Amino acid sequence: MSKELMSQLYDSGVKWITRGFTSEFFTLYVSLTYFCVFWFISPNIASWYNLGNLISNLLPLFVLAIGQTVVMITAGIDLSITSAVSLASVVGTMMMTSGAAPEFLITPAGVVMMIGVGLMVGMLNGAAVVWLEMPPFIVTLTTMIFARGLAIWITQSQNIFNLPSVFNSLDAYALPVTVIVFAVSAVLLKKSLLGRWIYAIGHNSKAALISGVNVNRTLLFAYAFSGLCAGVAAVLYTARIETGSPTMGDKILLDVIGATVIGGTSLFGGKGKMLWTLYGVLFITLLDNTLNMYGLPFSIIIIAKGAVILSAALLDAFRNKMLVFS
Amino acid sequence: MKNDHNTLSISNRRSFIRSSSLLAGGVFLSAPMFQSCSGASDQLTIGVAFDTLQTEYWVASIETMRSELKKRNYRMVESVADNDANRQFEQVKSFIARGVDGIIIAPKDAQSVVKMIREANSANIPVVIYNRPPEESDAQSVTIVADNYEITKATIKYMAEKARESGKKYKAMILIGDLGDINAIQRRDGYLDVIKDYTDFIEDAARVPTEWDNEKALARITNALQANPEINFIFTSSDLHLPALASALKTAGKYHKIGEDGHVLMGGFDGDATAYQMLVDGYLDADGVQDMFFESEQAVQAIVDLREGKTPPSIIKDPGFVIHQDNIEEMSARMWGAQV
Repeated sequence: MSKELMSQLYDSGVKWITRGFTSEFFTLYVSLTYFCVFWFISPNIASWYNLGNLISNLLPLFVLAIGQTVVMITAGIDLSITSAVSLASVVGTMMMTSGAAPEFLITPAGVVMMIGVGLMVGMLNGAAVVWLEMPPFIVTLTTMIFARGLAIWITQSQNIFNLPSVFNSLDAYALPVTVIVFAVSAVLLKKSLLGRWIYAIGHNSKAALISGVNVNRTLLFAYAFSGLCAGVAAVLYTARIETGSPTMGDKILLDVIGATVIGGTSLFGGKGKMLWTLYGVLFITLLDNTLNMYGLPFSIIIIAKGAVILSAALLDAFRNKMLVFS
Repeated sequence: MKNDHNTLSISNRRSFIRSSSLLAGGVFLSAPMFQSCSGASDQLTIGVAFDTLQTEYWVASIETMRSELKKRNYRMVESVADNDANRQFEQVKSFIARGVDGIIIAPKDAQSVVKMIREANSANIPVVIYNRPPEESDAQSVTIVADNYEITKATIKYMAEKARESGKKYKAMILIGDLGDINAIQRRDGYLDVIKDYTDFIEDAARVPTEWDNEKALARITNALQANPEINFIFTSSDLHLPALASALKTAGKYHKIGEDGHVLMGGFDGDATAYQMLVDGYLDADGVQDMFFESEQAVQAIVDLREGKTPPSIIKDPGFVIHQDNIEEMSARMWGAQV
């Protein structure tokens, strides 16, 4: 083989790798590669049952991450989503089991209540960020603590069980619900004026204000939308385990933020897409699923998960540098 | 505003969509074929899904199950949900997808586990519930659980009799744990049912829910001791809280050995290593012991029985026992905390 041919192969290899790294589909490539590698180690990962599991695990997390993406594009963060899920879950299920609504209205009322509670938590965050000019981190951290405490207080730490069978069957509609939330948010970000305002605020809120963007209303919308997504996720999570729980979302904050950032949404705002978030959620869900299936000890799983998320974040930083130089 | 982060041209995008569709389609369509070609080991696999490994009791339980399964030539795969019922549900479904031959679940709570049992039932996989009984339902499982109510009653009776012998008046406090946990409720009920028979010299002064969280326990015990400085009879529903209890008592100047002035009558539940040490050191009066060895062995035995088509009872109760200052030498060999 001639030196020239070797050099050509090398150049095309470098170009191929560079293109892969700088592609917006990078996280998807990583996820697919990861899936294929694990497929050979543990073939059951590709069974129809497990593929169903993967999708079922991905959906509520994706709904939460959609809300988080909108907030992060504005250069904010919403730490309260997990507690909003808990509070919405217990308020909705308490209403459904209290007999306060007529039988045929119980499930719709419960669903509306959950989404309403999520929305209210989101609006509370938005109002504090906009009108009190408080940092989003502090506001949403405080709301997280408050909502969690409220959920525990009103239930006295007890789960709520024996939910209407119609409500429990909503688990089967998780896919269309998520597709609707995804489609609405993707169109909103990409095609609407509001979407362009959201990006503009994330890039530079002062410049956006001078340019005529209604910064306050846009920020209020972003946090309210995140709360609404938390309410929808509460419906999905609650129907899935048929139980309302005051500790329902306690442990998923890292997964939500991790998935959003790994997907490519910037913590500094101005950059992000719903499709990227989907790839990030896919990656996190795959990681959890494969590590569970492999039956590794808990400590190893935690270490592996942390290491993989860190590697993904490092690769992302490296990718961003390549983007700058390419 | 134009989004300038998209580095792909339209042709690249199309080529990506084509190639990834081919890859994804190939993976999804050929998956079951590939799966059917894969070989399976002769060794049977049991999935063990624990809610948490937060306390010594759970760690000792999973270790005992591991060695018990190994003894019987079963492979064990494990998962820990870190107190997240949804995650535990996902983990149980992963076990089912993996094709395990049996599942042992130490659930987060009595309610959410019902859906997990139903999933295992649908896949015809035998399922055993460890330590926390599920809510009544049509889901089929075998439950191994300590007789929390009776063990607590026996523990509190011993303490109450010691209180009677002293001839003093007592103000009592219970650390309840998580009100959503049926085990916590049964222990509370056992405590209250004994205390009400001794009202002439024991007053039910404080009930402190701790949510099985040591930091919350410490804060709430401290508050309770400030509000009721005369508390001198304390029962913790889990030995998990003994370090927090000792710390709060030290701060309040009330941590004294048995026989010393100002000793607070103390009882616990579980039988862990801290409780054993406190019994030996003379700070703890009595401890209700869950026979962890019995429970773990019975959980494995129940899975084996179910796999062999036998029908073990739907609830297997661990009678447990009380270890106290008068029988410590005799009973410590059976206390798991004295062995780990």
